[in-house]
Amino acid sequence: MDINSTAFLLFFLVVFGVYYIPLKNSVRGQNLWLLLCSYASFAIADGRMLPLLVGATVVFYLLGILIGKNNHVNERKASWLTTLGTLLGVGVLVYFKYLNFLIDSFSSLVTAIGFKVSMCTLHIIMPVGVSFFTFKLISYIVEVHRGHIQPCRDFIAFATYVAFFPTLIAGPIDRPKPFLAQLGTVRRFCYPSPDNMAVDGLRQILWGLFKKVVIADSLATFVDLGWSHTAESTPTALWLVALVYPIQLYTDFSGYSDMAIGVSKLLGVRVAKNFNYPFFARNMADYWRRWHISLTSWLTDYVFMPLNIRFRDWDKMGMILACVINMVVVGVWHGANWTYALFGLYHGLLFVPLILNGEFLSKRKVKFEGYKPPLSYLGKMMQTYLLVALGMVLFRADSVGGLVDFVQGMLVGNGDGVECSLEAAMFPKATFLIALLMFAAEWVAMVKKKEFALQLATGWRPWLRYTTYTLLVALYLLKVGGSYGFIYAQF
Amino acid sequence: MNRQDILDKVQDIFRDILDNDDLVLTNESTADDIEEWDSLTHIQLIKAIEKDFSIRFTSREILSWNNVGEMIDSIVVKVKV
Repeated sequence: MDINSTAFLLFFLVVFGVYYIPLKNSVRGQNLWLLLCSYASFAIADGRMLPLLVGATVVFYLLGILIGKNNHVNERKASWLTTLGTLLGVGVLVYFKYLNFLIDSFSSLVTAIGFKVSMCTLHIIMPVGVSFFTFKLISYIVEVHRGHIQPCRDFIAFATYVAFFPTLIAGPIDRPKPFLAQLGTVRRFCYPSPDNMAVDGLRQILWGLFKKVVIADSLATFVDLGWSHTAESTPTALWLVALVYPIQLYTDFSGYSDMAIGVSKLLGVRVAKNFNYPFFARNMADYWRRWHISLTSWLTDYVFMPLNIRFRDWDKMGMILACVINMVVVGVWHGANWTYALFGLYHGLLFVPLILNGEFLSKRKVKFEGYKPPLSYLGKMMQTYLLVALGMVLFRADSVGGLVDFVQGMLVGNGDGVECSLEAAMFPKATFLIALLMFAAEWVAMVKKKEFALQLATGWRPWLRYTTYTLLVALYLLKVGGSYGFIYAQF
Repeated sequence: MNRQDILDKVQDIFRDILDNDDLVLTNESTADDIEEWDSLTHIQLIKAIEKDFSIRFTSREILSWNNVGEMIDSIVVKVKV
């Protein structure tokens, strides 16, 4: 049940109606209803895995209470329980996501050395959202252990935090402190209200839908053709595929995130932010502060910081090591494939010059006159985009072999005399033009410190506002591309 | 050295590392209140504080601080010892 499907719309209307009419004065009622709907949504996606989600929630709920009890009485035990919980969370991830890959890799290694082995992989089904809910569970016990939050005694609220349906499939990865605090009071639907949270949510859903359906799905046709017919594509076409893929991935994932955040706002809950105009970054460090923020900030707090603290006596070398390890984890989090590990390593290594020349720690702000950035800033932005696009070739490849074929096709072409399936002339120019207009709107929104571009419409006259909404809906209805699932739902 | 002296000294270190002479620290200050204070500058601040006070924090101490006040608490204990 994709968040942009009719089935989801009907499901959400029922959730919304019950949430704000019969349950409007009951905190526990609203939380329980959210939990039941979240479990129902999870069961619709894959009912067989519901016991895993519920079981993991019960175990981490109890662990949280035990860690909280021991935090000041028996620190050793609290640390031991936190390590156990972390290993359990990582263990669930490894089993469902990486075990077959590890068996395969080990088998290949042993065979390469010269031994004959016969190892069979297991038939494992990956539960939806496993990479997201395990990170929420680990985050919870670590925060309790660090004393940043008290253990949650309300099981319904805790289980709702873990399974909250708008963000269960592909994030954003919420943190327990801000999320659970919001479940402590009743959520009211006030229209018009001073902050118009529900209206803002609707606006964000529309913007996300536009990005996903009008831009991402249209670019997907071109990109998929390039990757599935590498041997029959011209080098120019493959360069265009590589250069346009970041836009597809961004509009797909940030489009999904906007919808998930918007749906949550309709339910009166603010969830974590995922993007902050990443393609306007001036270097790779800046880019990673703006891309998939809920994941990168999670890894910063629970992987990078502990490593950086441990390596602090090694100065820049320590920071480089912590960065490279952290970025490899970012890569591998996406899935069991050497291409993701290479993607992480590539980004880790890109941090090295930034750390050595001090730019990594530079907090200098670039000041704009109006909306016009300095030329040097534009140059840095384009350079960063190019590095991101090259990295995403590693990310998009299905295998190392596919990666080699694609890069070879980009550089020298893959064959002569074959009939070309993909040429540069097939590039979706109209969609690209719409994407450029979207980036122009996002630039203005960034300068005006808006959370997403369509928030700019809040200050407009009603006729202009409604014309814009109508235009976006019309573009959505006239969509030219096919229908594709969300890229990040597979992670 | 009393608690206020320690806070003043830590404030000087923050001003130096974060390159902001107007910065004012209180016990309640957090990284959310100070723009330049992030995960990267945090480690520089810790190193500078450890050097200045000739002390050593444990990883757990560093990761458990919620605000400047809790950081000062850790320094107070170590300086007294």
